[in-house]
Amino acid sequence: MTASTQPATVATPPRKERDHANPRSAIATFLFPALLIYAAFTALPVMRTIYNSTHLIVPNKPAEWVGFTHYIELWNDNIFWKAVGNTLTWATVAPLMEVSIATILALALYAKVPFSRFLRVAWFTPVLMSYVVVGILWMWIYNYDWGAVNSFLRWIGLDGWAQPWLGHPDTALPALIAVTTWMWTGFNMVVILAAMSSLPSEVLEAAELDNCGWFGKLWFVILPLIRPTLLNLIVLSFIGKMKIFDLVWVTTQGNPLWATETVSTYVYKRAFQWSTFDLGYPSTIAVVWFVIVMAGVLALTRLFRQKDKLEY
Amino acid sequence: MLRTTAMLALAAGIIGNAASAQEITLWSHWADQASKVEFVENAAKAYEEANPGVTINISWYQKEPLYAALKTALTAAQGPDIFYAESDQTEYMQNDLVLDLSDKLNWDNIEPWATEVWGYEGGVYGFPLEAWTVETYVNNAVMAENGIEIPVAGMEGQAFVDAVQKIADAGTTPLAQGVGDRPYPGAFLTHEILVKKLGTDDYRSLLKGEGVAWSDSRVKEALDYAKQIIDASAFPASFSSIKLGEAHRYFHTSPGAAMLQMGSFYPSRAFAAPDEGGQPDGFDLGIVNGPIPDGAACPECKTIAVGGSFVVNASSENADLAAGFLNSMATPEMGNAWLEANLVGTGIKSDASKITGENADYFQKLAAANEGAKYTFGIPVQQMQGTPRETFTQVINQAFPAGLIGVDEAISMMESAY
Repeated sequence: MTASTQPATVATPPRKERDHANPRSAIATFLFPALLIYAAFTALPVMRTIYNSTHLIVPNKPAEWVGFTHYIELWNDNIFWKAVGNTLTWATVAPLMEVSIATILALALYAKVPFSRFLRVAWFTPVLMSYVVVGILWMWIYNYDWGAVNSFLRWIGLDGWAQPWLGHPDTALPALIAVTTWMWTGFNMVVILAAMSSLPSEVLEAAELDNCGWFGKLWFVILPLIRPTLLNLIVLSFIGKMKIFDLVWVTTQGNPLWATETVSTYVYKRAFQWSTFDLGYPSTIAVVWFVIVMAGVLALTRLFRQKDKLEY
Repeated sequence: MLRTTAMLALAAGIIGNAASAQEITLWSHWADQASKVEFVENAAKAYEEANPGVTINISWYQKEPLYAALKTALTAAQGPDIFYAESDQTEYMQNDLVLDLSDKLNWDNIEPWATEVWGYEGGVYGFPLEAWTVETYVNNAVMAENGIEIPVAGMEGQAFVDAVQKIADAGTTPLAQGVGDRPYPGAFLTHEILVKKLGTDDYRSLLKGEGVAWSDSRVKEALDYAKQIIDASAFPASFSSIKLGEAHRYFHTSPGAAMLQMGSFYPSRAFAAPDEGGQPDGFDLGIVNGPIPDGAACPECKTIAVGGSFVVNASSENADLAAGFLNSMATPEMGNAWLEANLVGTGIKSDASKITGENADYFQKLAAANEGAKYTFGIPVQQMQGTPRETFTQVINQAFPAGLIGVDEAISMMESAY
């Protein structure tokens, strides 16, 4: 009896339990398309760019290994370093200006100044325009003969201050930084306003109960609470300015005397305007700049890392 | 049986048509230049009629997008059968991307200098459709107001500086140049002075960095002379931002200037109707030779440039047909038709004296300004490559004429670019 019942339980292999917490096949199925697209359109081009940077790539000939020749050439390329300096200046100054002004504007709206609805739309509008349109618009504004800036200066009697804003090495880059600040401040303002609007009301009320003044509330309560938002905006702006191309191309194309040359415009010039088919050198610039941008983002993330966790 | 026969006949017909139908593809600049588009499309229609079964499919672009598209397509061993190119694009020849047309075109109908411009290592690679000289256009009314008359052969040395100063003192801009969208118009003044000072051979070796250096005393003297003219307030204060089309309007309409140094493609914009940006009715236009520096080795020297040309893709499967189409345009009749339609020169042998009608006077003035001229081929940005070219664009085309840098600084920057 015993013998007849035993084999039935022993011979049947145990049914494999489905791991509902870790459904590998489902994960693979869902990940595969995304990974495929990532591999095809991001990883592969990046790998190819790195490969190109160590080769001479010309049509009708096999790629020729040139080692680090392009990197050495780049190290001695004065135009590249000028472009690096301009781009870093832009990527450092513009985020600070954009986020500072945006914070002030957001505070004004948060305090419900008159016409705040209209102002919110008006200040946000520039970001809805493309860089091409913005570039053309500001070329008119900066025009020496009839542009708004010089017309205003002449109107108030400061004729001597009128100048070709985009045509002088001393003013061209600041003039373009002012354009991106004008364009992006509204976007930053809306994000900061959203962050302010979602602040816990208990904390603000508690501050008021403690007789905290308006400035004290701003400095010790509001700004610390929206700090992560501000830092994210700075990082996003930094990345955007490190890649800036369209505005420069429409307005100055890097002139005068490379005063507005950015790394992106220089890569384009080297790739498409240098009377050569070689993609190796432009790829080298792209690789070096990718590393610099990555390092910049990591450095900013590390710098801005919240050491003390806020408690409220 | 009948059905089968009919199907076979139909299939044979389709195959037959496929075998005889041949399409030539052509990518060209000039999307916004109606008269050039019309000229090429008419030539294509005529070729199609003369060659039944052949169709020419033309795509019109602006120059920059065209160059970017070609670079990508040619690198992938694709691209059109024929495409627009300019003679400075030696990278096409260096990489065997274009066909040697030496034995495919009737070169007897092409100007020898235009053939020379497209020459490369024993071959000839481009069909030079468009050509232009660098001219000094004069607003005769402004000159008369200031009591200045510049001879057609040009004004020498200090006299030109004084004339510029006099015009500027009267509140008129002497030279309506602008570099807002082109890498060359700001350099017209300087390089025309340089070629006169040095002569064509030394000028060429200066640009190529082979022999004559930018620190050469003659080059310094030429730049000093150009600097005198610049410092006499030759150019508008908005020089850096004025675009090519705006410079034309600045010269002939608003606010009006005394002179404009420009390629002889000037009429393609200026001879449009006044409400389309052309010269005002009755505008009194003169053409003279540029300023001549003291001690010029070649006062009659000036620049002639081959502009828009067509080349045949080396990997084209229809290379003979494509070359045939270009050859159909290489006739004196087509050369004259080009002149008449576009009012700009051509590398095809043509006879401007045969132009009649309202533009005949212009061509006579142009011929007078070029009588006895000795040419250098190509403006500097067509003769230079890479870093020297980029530096020339930034320094000689913009910063130097804008007064942002002096002669020594310009020389130093050009020297270090080679």
